[in-house]
Amino acid sequence: MLMSLKAFLPELTLVGFLSALFLLDGFVPKLRENRFPLVWVMVSCLGAALATKAASNLTGPFFNGMVLSNGLSTFFRYFFFFSCGATAYLTLSSKEIDSRGRSEFSILLLCLTFGLSLMALSNHFLMLYIGIETVSIISFVLAGFSRESLRSNEASFKYLVYGAVSSGLMIFGISLIYGYTGTLAYPQIAEALVKNNGAHPYVFYLALFLVYAGFAYKISSFPFHFWTPDVYEGAPTPVATFFSVGPKAAGFGALLHFILTALSQKDGNGQWTMIPGIQLAPILAVLSATTMVVGNLSAIAQTNVKRILAFSSIAHVGYVLMGFVVMTPAAFSSIIFYLIVYCAMNLGAFWVVGIVTDLQGNDDVSSFRGLGWNMPFLGVCMAIFLFSLTGIPLFSGFIGKFLLFGALIQVPGYLWLALLGVLNSVVSLYYYMKILKAMWLERPEGEVKALRLPLTQIVGLLGLAVPTIVLGLFFSPVLELAQKWVAQ
Amino acid sequence: MQFPILSLMTFIPLLGMLVILALPKDKPNLVRWTSVIFTGVPLLLGVWLYRHFDASNASVQFVERASWIKAFNIEYYMGIDGLSIPMVLLTVLLSFLCVFASWGIEKGVKGYYAMFLFLESGMMGVFCALDFFLFFLFWEVMLLPMYFLIGIWGGKDKVYAAIKFFLYTLAGSVLMLLAMLAMYYYSEPHTFDLLALAENHKQFLDKTVTLFGATYALDKILWLGLFIGFAIKVPIWPFHTWLPWAHVEAPTAVSVILAGVLLKMGTYGLLRMNYPIFPEATQWASTALMILGVINIIYGALCAMAQKDLKKLVAYSSVSHMGYVIMGMASFTTAGVNGAVMQMFNHGTSTAMMFLLVGVAYDRVHHRWIVKPDGSKGFGGIAAVAPVYTGMMAIALFASLGLPGLSGFISEALVFLGTFSNPKYQSYVVIGSIGILLGAAYLLWMFMRVFLGPLNEEHKDMTDMNWRERLTLLPLCVLVIVLGVYPMPVLNLMGPTIAKLLAALGVA
Repeated sequence: MLMSLKAFLPELTLVGFLSALFLLDGFVPKLRENRFPLVWVMVSCLGAALATKAASNLTGPFFNGMVLSNGLSTFFRYFFFFSCGATAYLTLSSKEIDSRGRSEFSILLLCLTFGLSLMALSNHFLMLYIGIETVSIISFVLAGFSRESLRSNEASFKYLVYGAVSSGLMIFGISLIYGYTGTLAYPQIAEALVKNNGAHPYVFYLALFLVYAGFAYKISSFPFHFWTPDVYEGAPTPVATFFSVGPKAAGFGALLHFILTALSQKDGNGQWTMIPGIQLAPILAVLSATTMVVGNLSAIAQTNVKRILAFSSIAHVGYVLMGFVVMTPAAFSSIIFYLIVYCAMNLGAFWVVGIVTDLQGNDDVSSFRGLGWNMPFLGVCMAIFLFSLTGIPLFSGFIGKFLLFGALIQVPGYLWLALLGVLNSVVSLYYYMKILKAMWLERPEGEVKALRLPLTQIVGLLGLAVPTIVLGLFFSPVLELAQKWVAQ
Repeated sequence: MQFPILSLMTFIPLLGMLVILALPKDKPNLVRWTSVIFTGVPLLLGVWLYRHFDASNASVQFVERASWIKAFNIEYYMGIDGLSIPMVLLTVLLSFLCVFASWGIEKGVKGYYAMFLFLESGMMGVFCALDFFLFFLFWEVMLLPMYFLIGIWGGKDKVYAAIKFFLYTLAGSVLMLLAMLAMYYYSEPHTFDLLALAENHKQFLDKTVTLFGATYALDKILWLGLFIGFAIKVPIWPFHTWLPWAHVEAPTAVSVILAGVLLKMGTYGLLRMNYPIFPEATQWASTALMILGVINIIYGALCAMAQKDLKKLVAYSSVSHMGYVIMGMASFTTAGVNGAVMQMFNHGTSTAMMFLLVGVAYDRVHHRWIVKPDGSKGFGGIAAVAPVYTGMMAIALFASLGLPGLSGFISEALVFLGTFSNPKYQSYVVIGSIGILLGAAYLLWMFMRVFLGPLNEEHKDMTDMNWRERLTLLPLCVLVIVLGVYPMPVLNLMGPTIAKLLAALGVA
């Protein structure tokens, strides 16, 4: 039990800080009038990250096999704590989350991050379900955080309806798997599947697809992606920012753990092989292909920047799923690398959108017009993030794609997917360029609004833009770290 | 440690970009002169390079090599041989001249020159890189400044032209990316080193890949992936539709760079990668290449003939002239390939002159119509008011159509000579030579309508070229004449390298 608590230290730290904030806010209501709650979030994330470092060498299942700690868990913990802290940082100067809601926002954000951790670490279907529901319920509240905004309310409600359907499907799938294997714990499921020696009934595949519905909803993969653009558009920008990074990564983390522990075996060389009789690669390939095609093609016609970025985030899910098609350690480390660079560039892009929304009052492409000339720093940063999202060399997004396509091309039979993937990135250029075109190639209509960015924003944007470039030129250390996490 | 001249030539413009970005906004002349310095130094280094390049040596020289990303065996590997040095010299020369040709830009001078210097770095890198990853990096990075240069400082339809250019080129380069990754993973040991890949080209034979359920030979698929990427850049018909837009909408200096240097990257890439790394697939595709070359020559010329816009005419003439390069390359003969590379250089100088001259006229009269769209007269008889301008145009034009004594003649003659000496392709020479006739026709017809005849009264106040413009064109003019009379300085540079390339292909 003590071991379990030790291994759970990062989450416990988070919960500790969370409870403290809750009490502080109750007893000292004045605190919410300044930015203290957001700073508190950053401090708690830092604390949790330090705890992660301390707990990173404790591997294996704990809490009676409910939760699994390994290298991947370490990575995902760092990832969530970083993106939560970064979101709090960018909310500091947001007008959408003002003094009335800062405390609630901070508390919910920390709760959400705790849920994300649970999701990504789960080693048992019950734990997974609790994690997903924790994340979902808090997400519904956060999506509707702007209470006076009709859009925000709509976003929340849509999220709720989709969430209810997909978790219903998932729990039905889980019940089928329970009926088939007699257990809910991942390792035992694997044992039961191995015993069947390749002969799985069709209902098992149905169950897998239903379970995938839950994951697909979280990562917004086709065909459970429909909520994404509406929620991102309606939710306050800081919330959408976090949604586009945190829950997505948690979905990937949970999916990774599920596939690796419940559906595959690790051989002596550290290679994973699927349990005999399970053929996921072709299905995942088709899901990956449809996700990126649907995401990219839908983005073309959009005129709202948040919707463009929402569809682009769906397309990126498609790219990451390519890594799942290939079950090699190289592919897993490319997935991790991709998530890291995606986090930096996507947070950055959403951040710029948030600044522009605060400045112009809306987030249509037209409100970006001429902004590059009036606010060159912002324009250059946005260009860096968008070029990186497209996957142009010199920027880290290219390296992410380079690694993923490299992993894919080594496997015979999936050249078509690689071809589709690269052509998709050409399509994506078109809609990313819509934003850049408005910023740099067009002149603003009417009076020019420009704003001197506060230092915090400049520092923060630089903190995301610089890694976006540096990781495009020197990526070895981060890649080695990713490989270490995968191997652990 | 050898003097890192290639790195200096590549990164001095990039340094210049940073310096320019730090300069104050309200001093455009300071920005311009800074650009002169940061393009002038690479030009001087280029002269030094030319003097010290050992032309009798067929292997790569001035090599700089350092490990960059160990996990993928990626190296910072620069070096030039006879194939790249003409292009390197062309790049530094045209970049330097273009700084002067852009003197008239008033809007966002700082941004313009910063982007321009960034572009020069990219171009230099492409011609010097010998590691595929590095090559690809430079190749793609060039797109960014190009997009902004066309999109911000271009003409009426600049936004459309810029995105079309960007999308087309990116489509080509992502195929190249896949081919690059496949080449890396199918080679043993895994490498991006272009020379090592060429050395061990046999390892790509007898392997297959499956695509959409069918099985193909690996080397042919990879050849095609690279080819499409390069063909879009050349551009080879039917991938050429971005070209008239980009060339016409771009500001003068950028058109010069586009036509003078960027198009050559396509053919350079074919000679640097497709030819030595996949010789068997190149043999397999050679007839198709020859046919595409002939189509380019004829199609480009016919399109040029139909144009009413002077700049569009020059743009289509590029399509036609790049056809000769493809033809010479596909002939698989020493004379043909030499002619092709020579044509790459010569077209770079003559088309640069043409675009610069079109820009000179546009700066004065703000239109480029040979015949206005409503059918009325555009230019006409401007020889009467601008004699120097007319003379310069005559030189550029005759060089372009291949008048003996000017540079275009040498390269086109070599191309036809080489192609004719390959018995397989004699009939193509016959068709291709119609292109010469068509070329003469559209250029002379244009010359007649624009410069000769009675003066269009609208242009009676047109001034002749000023000293800045004359001096910008002078070096190109000299090159065109000198290389027309005595082409050996360029031919000598590339001879041994091309002989080695052809030997590796199993011909000559």
